[in-house]
Amino acid sequence: MTARAMPLIVAVDTGGTFTDIAAFDMERGEVVYAKALTTYGDLVDGVMACVAEAGVDLARALLVKHGTTLVINTLLQRSGARAALVTTKGFRDTLELARGNRTNPFDIAFRRAPPLIPRTLRFEVDERVHGRGEVLAEPDPEEIDRLAEAIAGLDVEAVAVSLLNAYRDDRNERAVAERLRRRLPGIYVTAGTELTREWYEYERCCTAAANAIVGPRMADYAARLERRLADGGFESTLYMMGSNGGVLSVERTLREPIALIESGPVGGCIGAGAYGKALGIPDLIAFDMGGTTAKCAVIRDGAFGLRSPYFVGGYDTGFPIRGSVVDIVEVGAGGGSIAWVDEEKRLHIGPRSAGSDPGPVAFGRGGKEPTITDANLVLGRIGAGVFLGGGLELDADAASSAIAERVAEAVGMGGRPVEETAEGMLALGAVTMTGAIRQITVERGYDPRDFALFAFGGSGPLYGSLLARELDIRTVIVPPEPGNFSAIGMLLADARLDVARTMIRDLGEETLPEIRDAFAEADRHGAGIVAAEVPGAAATLARSIELRYRGQKHSFVIPVTEIGDAAALREAFEAYYRDRFGHSDSAAPVEIVGIRVSAYAQTDKPALARLPRAEDSVGGAAASRPVWFGAAGGWIETPVRRRAALPAGFEAEGPLIVEEYGATTVIGPGDRCIVGGLGEIRIAIGD
Amino acid sequence: MDDARPGAALDPITLEIVGHGLVAIPNEIDANITRTAFSPLVYEYKDFASGLVDAEGRLVAQGSGSIPIFVANALGVAVRDGIAVHGIDNIHDGDVLISNHAGTLGQHLNNVVMYTPVFDGAGALFGFMCVLVHWVDVGGSTAGSCSATDATEIFQEGIQFRSVKLWSKGVRNDDFYRTIEINTRFPSMVLGDLESQLAGTLTGKRKFRAMIDRYGAATMREAIEAIWDRSEQVARRGVRDLPDGVWRAESFLDNDGIDGDTPVPVAVEVRISGETMTIDLSGVGGVLRGPMNSGVYGGAWPAARIAFKILTAPDEPANEGCFRPLEIVIPDGTFLSAPATAPMGMYSATLATVIDTIVRAVGKADPSRAAGGHHATFAVHWFFGTDPANGALYQQIDTGHGGWGATAGADGGGPYKTMAHGDTLDVPVELQEALCPLLVETIALRPDSAGDGTHRGGLGTEKVVRVLSESGFSIQIDRTRCRPWGIGGGTDGEGADGRIEPADGEPYRLLKGVTELGPGDRFRLRTGGGGGFGPPESRDPDRVADDVAAGYVTREKARGVYRVALDEAGTVDAAETERLRQGG
Repeated sequence: MTARAMPLIVAVDTGGTFTDIAAFDMERGEVVYAKALTTYGDLVDGVMACVAEAGVDLARALLVKHGTTLVINTLLQRSGARAALVTTKGFRDTLELARGNRTNPFDIAFRRAPPLIPRTLRFEVDERVHGRGEVLAEPDPEEIDRLAEAIAGLDVEAVAVSLLNAYRDDRNERAVAERLRRRLPGIYVTAGTELTREWYEYERCCTAAANAIVGPRMADYAARLERRLADGGFESTLYMMGSNGGVLSVERTLREPIALIESGPVGGCIGAGAYGKALGIPDLIAFDMGGTTAKCAVIRDGAFGLRSPYFVGGYDTGFPIRGSVVDIVEVGAGGGSIAWVDEEKRLHIGPRSAGSDPGPVAFGRGGKEPTITDANLVLGRIGAGVFLGGGLELDADAASSAIAERVAEAVGMGGRPVEETAEGMLALGAVTMTGAIRQITVERGYDPRDFALFAFGGSGPLYGSLLARELDIRTVIVPPEPGNFSAIGMLLADARLDVARTMIRDLGEETLPEIRDAFAEADRHGAGIVAAEVPGAAATLARSIELRYRGQKHSFVIPVTEIGDAAALREAFEAYYRDRFGHSDSAAPVEIVGIRVSAYAQTDKPALARLPRAEDSVGGAAASRPVWFGAAGGWIETPVRRRAALPAGFEAEGPLIVEEYGATTVIGPGDRCIVGGLGEIRIAIGD
Repeated sequence: MDDARPGAALDPITLEIVGHGLVAIPNEIDANITRTAFSPLVYEYKDFASGLVDAEGRLVAQGSGSIPIFVANALGVAVRDGIAVHGIDNIHDGDVLISNHAGTLGQHLNNVVMYTPVFDGAGALFGFMCVLVHWVDVGGSTAGSCSATDATEIFQEGIQFRSVKLWSKGVRNDDFYRTIEINTRFPSMVLGDLESQLAGTLTGKRKFRAMIDRYGAATMREAIEAIWDRSEQVARRGVRDLPDGVWRAESFLDNDGIDGDTPVPVAVEVRISGETMTIDLSGVGGVLRGPMNSGVYGGAWPAARIAFKILTAPDEPANEGCFRPLEIVIPDGTFLSAPATAPMGMYSATLATVIDTIVRAVGKADPSRAAGGHHATFAVHWFFGTDPANGALYQQIDTGHGGWGATAGADGGGPYKTMAHGDTLDVPVELQEALCPLLVETIALRPDSAGDGTHRGGLGTEKVVRVLSESGFSIQIDRTRCRPWGIGGGTDGEGADGRIEPADGEPYRLLKGVTELGPGDRFRLRTGGGGGFGPPESRDPDRVADDVAAGYVTREKARGVYRVALDEAGTVDAAETERLRQGG
């Protein structure tokens, strides 16, 4: 209705270093991009700076979609609200006991990160639901009132309620949370089962605690953001980017801010899925490499995987979050990753990064330690004017000296050309990244050779063909605007809600009626919420069921449309199992672990063909420069082309360098590239 | 010949890439086995290991996902026995062998090593890909095979396979599969786990071979030697940093594993000289009547090697080189070097105490690296029976987690499992209750259980389980009398304890044994707290106040042991504290 007056769809992604914007004008069919530095004092400043930089008129915006690192940073820095926890009698210490494991068995000083809520702020309530569903004791309202009184005197901003076995029956937990809300006005109260209906008390308790801790911060942030956007003339709908790849309303964000835990990285996965579908290449590995880390995710049939639990601060010492989080493996390897040599003269790359300050040696801002970017510059893979559209001139001689002195000498390669060491740095960095890709594929039961590599981020297109060769992947795809790709993905995001319920049942006709009922309830719940978030849109639903052989820990999520008979479900499970593992057992009993429903409501979004920008400030006419390809014998004079100047259908043999604002694509000797109809560069890896 | 290829020479960067590639193979296999295993001991307890050994059984690389007991090179030990049994010329491409032989591995019979030879392109034997998996049952007197607390001979603990060919030159040995099938109570689980073990072994072999093809056998050998040398250098530096001398420590186990009050000594001597360390375990007790024995490669070696790695190279990937500066002295006939006929069902139960005692000895050499003792008992408790809800058999196995020792710089950690464990997860209460007729009433920190000190130990835990129907119950707790030691003036932590509280009847202590429980009966497990470091009266009074506020330490203890006076609100009364501390 307002599409004429409000033709803009805007996505703003606050990342670790930069805040990115992509704004699509439906009227003109054009997209504008901009970047601004992320502002840690108040993240909203960076968002508004970005809006100004792009020249976006907020009064013309129909939708603003926003991804932010607020939640993950608040948790990593432990800068959230002071919160209390209410749990079942006997389980005050669940949050502190964790799971008893030590991830480095030989480190006697191993310590897990301290519990999210200290023992002095953890309380018990006398109630009990058994693990098989029976409510053994209901909470006494008077006890809750006394608890509320005690909590009111503790100067807390938030309360998490997480009761044992509430995933099974949430009535006690609901009763406690509701009464506390009434008795504690002004205090943020959250309950575990409002966030997840999956089992495992420690994981759900952490989720509730984390949500309580970020809740008040998110409320402040959203209020500031909405006010500043309104001051800028915005009068339509703001959505936040959820970790499951769907956007959610501000209202829902305030209830479950924890749903924004991977709010940024998910953007690229949405974009990769959309391009994969449009290009007829449904199975992709999304590979996003920036300045400090590389991230990868598997896209199948255009959809990325979800993983629960997600570990805040990493698996080794961090804590788990239950929920619907994109399954990403992240490693400390980016353009700024530092090369260093240990006491045994062993070369390592990262995970420490030079960041943007002081940055790589080549930046000339005081950085002394050579980085991946320095190696790329020494090898001619990036040009001296590649950063900030040439605004930052790179010093190749300084980079070369640093690599010679600090790496080549130290590992004993001092007598050889420095390019060999620089190329070695890239190769060793690639080991870390292929390790991440193997983890997201092989360890999840996929063969990387069945996928195309979809490379984006500032450094992804530099590395794509090198990684593909290592992994025996035949095709690399570099989308338009690889440096802004997360924001592009957000432009394409729909509203989404995932409902998951743990229900341990034998797979048999007698249990199916209960399962059908649960699906119906989840359908209603999910569809109701997302349809309300996108006015005028109808909800679509995707159902799946989680099955496993009884006795096995790992379960498998099998998509289903209708719940037919038990035999059909069993056959679907066995087919899936055979596909993944090459064998299945037709005699072993199968059990249901849970059900999942994803509800979507479509938002207005641009067509992919409109996304490449027509003009680019980078580079002049076609040129060339020497680039080092060790396997092909060393220096090769290599053509360098501007991406915006390459028409659809352009074809070339490698070696070739393609430059654009914010990214450089390397096509190696023996590789072939072609520019496709959506502006994507497809690289066919040579033998 | 294969190294005539240009660029194949071993430069420092290729060396690093090969090193990472070698570790990546078993890590990938670890992940796959965890994902596809049926046995909770594999997927929750991480009771498996995968790795590569060379043609002589020397450890090249091992996955980091498994419990640490297997860094003793159970894999290489099995391979060496296979070579001895068959002769090197009779091991062919496509052979897959398995062994759980107590006389070789010295572990409980559930631990089955599977391995297959890897040949290079020229047909020369390069090494072996090996995967060890804890099979859920290999026969014997009780379900699970290793759960009989009263076993007195290995023969009560299951069937043994000594270097038997499961596959021969790529042909499956159906007779042997049938033998396995008929000797286990849970054939579909065991055969399912065997499939995933086989898939891991063969996948690992393929990947190992692909690396050899890519880099050339000679380059690979050179790289492996260099990797060993460098790990050795790290370990040597670790030893060099410790003061030379002869360092001794002692502790003891409660009894012989069956019953009685006769303690079993654990006396160790560590001799450090320059860059080498000798761990002498001659002073540990003799073969035990009950099933806590281990053979030399399942007992003495893992205990010494884990301790050595903790002390010298905790972050280094496990390989042969890490252990070159270590000499292990162990006579025959101790509980860590028991004969092949001794019962070994709970072979690993003593190891945490042995490791901790070695660390204690070295702590005397260098107090800055010392740590108080940790709880050190597995406290395995099993509930099993028929579930009245569905008539199916159930079993719920769990271990305790407790406090770890304080160090010169910090309070003790935990609660964690023991030093013989690693990334081993506790079983969630919600899972226990959903799958078994049990009600877990509490799992909580145990106030005042930690050893006191300038830095205090980590706290132990208390867990109470009520059974809801007739249930079998098996328990194995030790270290109730030799409490986790304090050091440098710190006090000992509380020891472990186990009690049965019948629905109607007097509570009684039960530390080792099997019994029947009825509806309403409770089992109460208390795990130990870690030992303290330094005199308690030197602890920062504010930290004592924090501990009291949190309920980790009682007011009584704060006053009596820490000599800290607190006012009504719980804050430190400085003057009174001063008086208490001066008066002491």
